[in-house]
Amino acid sequence: MLGRFRYGYVAPAALLVAVLLYAPFVWTAYLSLTRYDGLEPPVWAGLANFAKLFDDAALLTSTRNTLIWVIGTMVLPVGLGLLVAVLSYDIRGGAWFRVPFMLPYALSGAGLAMVWSPVLSHDGIANVLLGVDTAFLQEAPANTFAMLAVWTWQQLGVNCLLFVVGLQSIPREPIEAARLDGASGWRLFRHVIWPLMRPLTAVVVGLALVSSLKTFDIVWVLTQGGPGRNSETLAVTMYKETFVASDYGYGSAVAVLLTVVTGLASYLYLRRQVTAT
Amino acid sequence: MHRSRVATLGVAALVLAACGGNGAGTPQKKTELTLYNDKGAWTKYFDEMGALSKQSIGLGMKPTGYTDSAQYQAFIKASFRTNVKPDLFTWQTGGMLAEIVKQKQVADTTAVWQEAIKAGDLSPDLAPYYTVGGKQYCVPMNVAYWGMFYNKKIFDKYDLKPPQTWDDLVKTAETLKKNGVKAFYHTSVLFSFVWFEQLMAGTDPDLYDRLSTGKAKYTDPGVVQVMERWKQLIDAGYFINPGDKTDPGDVLKTGKAAMVSFGTWFNTSMTTRSMKAGTDYDFFVIPNVNPALPKTSMIFESGPLCSLAKAADPDASMKYLKWWTTAQAQEKWATSRGDVSANPKVTISDPALGTVTKDAGGGKYRLVNRYFEATPPQILTAALDGFGKFVTEPGTYKEVLETIQKEADEYWSTHQ
Repeated sequence: MLGRFRYGYVAPAALLVAVLLYAPFVWTAYLSLTRYDGLEPPVWAGLANFAKLFDDAALLTSTRNTLIWVIGTMVLPVGLGLLVAVLSYDIRGGAWFRVPFMLPYALSGAGLAMVWSPVLSHDGIANVLLGVDTAFLQEAPANTFAMLAVWTWQQLGVNCLLFVVGLQSIPREPIEAARLDGASGWRLFRHVIWPLMRPLTAVVVGLALVSSLKTFDIVWVLTQGGPGRNSETLAVTMYKETFVASDYGYGSAVAVLLTVVTGLASYLYLRRQVTAT
Repeated sequence: MHRSRVATLGVAALVLAACGGNGAGTPQKKTELTLYNDKGAWTKYFDEMGALSKQSIGLGMKPTGYTDSAQYQAFIKASFRTNVKPDLFTWQTGGMLAEIVKQKQVADTTAVWQEAIKAGDLSPDLAPYYTVGGKQYCVPMNVAYWGMFYNKKIFDKYDLKPPQTWDDLVKTAETLKKNGVKAFYHTSVLFSFVWFEQLMAGTDPDLYDRLSTGKAKYTDPGVVQVMERWKQLIDAGYFINPGDKTDPGDVLKTGKAAMVSFGTWFNTSMTTRSMKAGTDYDFFVIPNVNPALPKTSMIFESGPLCSLAKAADPDASMKYLKWWTTAQAQEKWATSRGDVSANPKVTISDPALGTVTKDAGGGKYRLVNRYFEATPPQILTAALDGFGKFVTEPGTYKEVLETIQKEADEYWSTHQ
């Protein structure tokens, strides 16, 4: 009986997914093969937009910056998050120690950038406090590193929290057994704790990988990708080409590229993790 | 199987009906119009105009202000294909107006213009900015003349007078520098084009016009020389740091820079900071770089207020646009913001701006369309980024010009 209605039950959800997720994706993929300014009907351009990707100096810069964001995110918010978690999960008052790291997570990306803008600008608080005259947001790639520091300030806490959950969910027996065998410190962590945490690490790193590949809001609010496009990420390039330059075709090509890169990176990483587990 | 298909179709029909809106094209009689604009900071002034129009012509107006111009333009373009349409909306003159006229999206206002010119409410000199294919579209939401706002107290302190020649301006900057004061404001974001257009217009306005229409190249010697002059001014230390995020109104008020070049709308920033014209600040017309030019070049901008060709209530929208050009409406619009008006009958309370408006109307200046409107969006985006890079690293000017020209080549190859 139920079988006869099964399509009816899933139809609303399937329709929403099709209309809101698949249709825009297919439309974007189509636009990437056209010349389109948002007003006149799209004109078929074949692979011209994709050919332009390989001849665009700005895209090279945004790819470099996106790469810095990905590597930087793994080292700083994720790496330091793990460090704080390991140092604090097993000590008295550890939760209180982690609270300050968690607070900035309450801010949205745009809000975060607004808060840091007066700190990092040329006439900003950072220069006054440090007694220097540094243009934190002007020279590349230093401006990307400055924004990465802001990103770390916000993201460290949540990564730390996830790692703590992972650490607390590890069964005690293997750790106790390892301790009885004389393992401690780095060796205990490296050979017992870390392998046991692998499923959770895969999730944390996977999420960080995707979020760093699509970095947009913090860069847009702090520098708008400038000066002179030197702090653009792929997501910022996609937005600027589409909505600022009204080159919807090329912007869509960047969107397709970003989707492929994100999808491929996630697939390769997760496949490796699943195989290893 | 049949029932499940019926159920599926039923759900799909409901969803599509919900997406479909409420019957496009049905004529409505409106008593309040929506005005979408990219001047979110002016919401207060639009509200005041809405109250006045309700009182005067029985037609209210509710503004919806965006602060991000790119988002705003994307919304307006998308609205052309949906039922969420604004009754009135602000736009840009130049290529952007021509684009939406070509798509038959914007209502013809030729009759409104003819009537307003006859009544003396609009100057015929403004009409070319609103003319596409021999017809007028939209009406002027605002007009602005560009010049230099300066901190009067700093000028008085160092016994400086508004410069009459370009050399005077450079000498003024030098005097300020010797006294530890930065002469000029500039920025690497959005308004990075200001000094380029000013130097171009003051050196060779014909070349500037040719550049806007793709008949000259950014790599032409005349443009390169302008960039070199700009570089000299930066290298001389006359400008504040382009990464400074202080609001330009505060820059002038605090004396971080003694001079800020903007349109007359910048006067609103002065009045909101309780600065008095003639005492705390003043305004002068920037002299030409090239003294041989017959007229002083003055950057001019005018932002249109438009209605859609397929407006929900075309009569009401047109009635509103007509009212907008009248002296009553313009008096309120100009006075509340402390700005100049497109209506020559309006008295400008600020003496300096009043003189500029009168002189400009009398043909004293060569009005040059602002770079923002004069340049097609794709080239503009590349240029704003390029100038942003240049003010941060002035040595890159040749590379910057080549990058802009590359974008210009691509654009003009399909738009001539």
